[in-house]
Amino acid sequence: MKKRLVSLVLSLAMVASLFAGCGGSNNADANADANANNDAVVSTEDAATPAPAPATKITVAAFEGGYGADLWREVTAAYTEVTGVEVDLIIDKELENVIGPSMQGGEFPDVIHLATGRAAGLTEQFIKDNLITDITDVLSMTVPGESAKVSDKIAGGFTETALTNPYGDGKTYLAPMFYSPCGLFYNAGLLEEKGWAVPTTWDEMWALGELAKAEGIALFTYPTAGYFDAFLYALMYSVGGADFFNAATNYEEGVWDTAEGQKVFEILGKLASYTHTSTPAQANGEDFTKNQQLVLDNKAIFMPNGTWIVGEMAEAPRAEGFKWGMTALPAVEEGGDGYSFTWFEQAWIPAGAVNQDAAKQFVAFLYSDKACEIFAKYNAIQPVLGIADKLEGDNVMFYSIYDNGAKAAMGGFAPYASVAGLGTIQEVFFDPINSLVEGTMTVDQWIENIKAATDLMRENIVK
Amino acid sequence: MKNGMGRNLFLFACVAPATLLFFIFMVLPTFNVFRMSLFERGAYSPTETFVGFANFQSAFADPKFIRSCQNMILMIVVVTIITFGFAIVFASILTRENIKGKNIFRVIFYIPNILSVVVISGIFSAIYKPENGMLNSIIGLFKPEVLADPILWKGERMVMVSLVIAMVWQAIGYYMVMYMASISAVSESLYESAGLDGANRIQQFFMITIPLIWTNIRTTLTFFIISTINMAFLFVTALTSGGPNGASEVALSYMYKQKDAGLYGYSMAVGVIIFLFSFALSGIVNKITEREPLEI
Repeated sequence: MKKRLVSLVLSLAMVASLFAGCGGSNNADANADANANNDAVVSTEDAATPAPAPATKITVAAFEGGYGADLWREVTAAYTEVTGVEVDLIIDKELENVIGPSMQGGEFPDVIHLATGRAAGLTEQFIKDNLITDITDVLSMTVPGESAKVSDKIAGGFTETALTNPYGDGKTYLAPMFYSPCGLFYNAGLLEEKGWAVPTTWDEMWALGELAKAEGIALFTYPTAGYFDAFLYALMYSVGGADFFNAATNYEEGVWDTAEGQKVFEILGKLASYTHTSTPAQANGEDFTKNQQLVLDNKAIFMPNGTWIVGEMAEAPRAEGFKWGMTALPAVEEGGDGYSFTWFEQAWIPAGAVNQDAAKQFVAFLYSDKACEIFAKYNAIQPVLGIADKLEGDNVMFYSIYDNGAKAAMGGFAPYASVAGLGTIQEVFFDPINSLVEGTMTVDQWIENIKAATDLMRENIVK
Repeated sequence: MKNGMGRNLFLFACVAPATLLFFIFMVLPTFNVFRMSLFERGAYSPTETFVGFANFQSAFADPKFIRSCQNMILMIVVVTIITFGFAIVFASILTRENIKGKNIFRVIFYIPNILSVVVISGIFSAIYKPENGMLNSIIGLFKPEVLADPILWKGERMVMVSLVIAMVWQAIGYYMVMYMASISAVSESLYESAGLDGANRIQQFFMITIPLIWTNIRTTLTFFIISTINMAFLFVTALTSGGPNGASEVALSYMYKQKDAGLYGYSMAVGVIIFLFSFALSGIVNKITEREPLEI
């Protein structure tokens, strides 16, 4: 009897907790509704009062990258000094894991500094789902504490790329941050010692490859296949200019069958045959520095990378007489243009952020002289006019690449709505390079896969 | 009667918190996974669309998912067989035979189990390094051509083998200790009388040891299937990030990546498939390993 009673009570408890669960989710929905209502109420109040009370505190979430965390602490402190608005700073190397769960729960930071191209693809997801606030009006705002407009400060072209205007509608959604020219990094000391010239065309590149092979040095390596993004963008520009680049990044039909398209894959296929054989086995998150080490050890000559490599490998052992060199991608023909991709990060305001206006003020402040100076102190270079005069050390050489004849390539693939089984840009375009180098896939198979995938991407472009 | 009521209340109060917590943190999320697998949504989007079983249909038509499942099944089968073989034999040797330094061996075998997967991946990165790595250097002693043309242990062709080796290395100690405990519970007199009857060591192992620890083997098999599915995710994430070119992707790491690609519902559907698969597999293994329990 007792036993039965206990089991009855227990099973009742189980059933009750089940209902409690249902009730919980209902409550959550109700809360969401209530929030929406509250928002409505707040906005009507705002409209009624002549001067809406400005936010006194905003939350900024920033990715702690190679530049460290201190630059954000200083910039937010400077912002508070200028505007009086306090900043709650969240900064982490795995920012997605820190802010992701709370955003799933509906709580958004006001400003997020997190670039596209990361494994967790958080920024991409926000772009695909149209969850980012339009910040076109920030460009015409005055920088807090200064008299200049934001658009007067940002260097030309930066707010016209697919990375800042993802929907191609002339509206800016992501603010360009910390730019870095990408190119091929190499040991300048080695080339000097051997008397080899830096190739300016791909034909010279292959000739150098043969010379190096005779000495047991590979022409090329790459940290991970993901580093081919900047490389491929610059290559597409140098092969077919802006027209071809735009056609390819918008997945236009037949673009890979054109002469330019074929040329891109011919170069990549040939490059794969000149790549250090150990590269694909080390092209993962655990071992990629071993690939970078190949360049430091004179086992491979070139690798695609960004200016952060100098800091990243600062402590690594290196060959005698090692000196960092950086060059743009060679031109396709004699006298053609060499290109260097301009990689930059993005800061954006989630559509769910509460303090939209204050967030926009903060984004505008990121281009102030004060902020740029703080960032530059930590080697993070803002894309503003006149920044070149403030550079020091290796950066002078790196950032002068465009003064030395290389053209700047900017942009990226158009965002498309995810489809099960389709894969990401990285999986479709870049990862197969590992197979190419190892010889488990041919260039033709790769092209076929890309064509099939881009057909699907074209149908799903996010507008 | 009054006493009985009080007792029941007491029992209820004791059990209720655990039951409640279990439901809130285990049962509800599981139901939620099932529910979300029927919707299409991004991880951060406030809207969701009901799509029925479309996510499951896409999963079975997705060659990348099929490949990740094949990798997972390969790991479950190969890692289980090798680990079990080694663990039982080592356990039997360390318990039954008179070997010097038994305890040291026991500790050495158990150490990998204490290490975190991140540490293990660091160790195996050094072992598998193509140039001057430990494994290639040792092989190079016997086959010098390997030094010139190194074996790419984490390359596309060998990566699954390398992962299996690392997982076996990590798991042996834990299961060995479990079997040692149950083998030492087998009465010594059985072995003595078997010895008098002329049974050699190998016969004793198959006729006495294995049948008498069979219940233990069954239980650990179920553990093993579930833990291999989970450990495979950890090893793949830490050692290879699923690469090169997706060659070492397993079902759980694929599921995780789909979430990052913005296919939350789809990744939940993959989760449901893995859940049902591991449930079914454990059930089947449990059924086919059923034997009359031996009692001595």
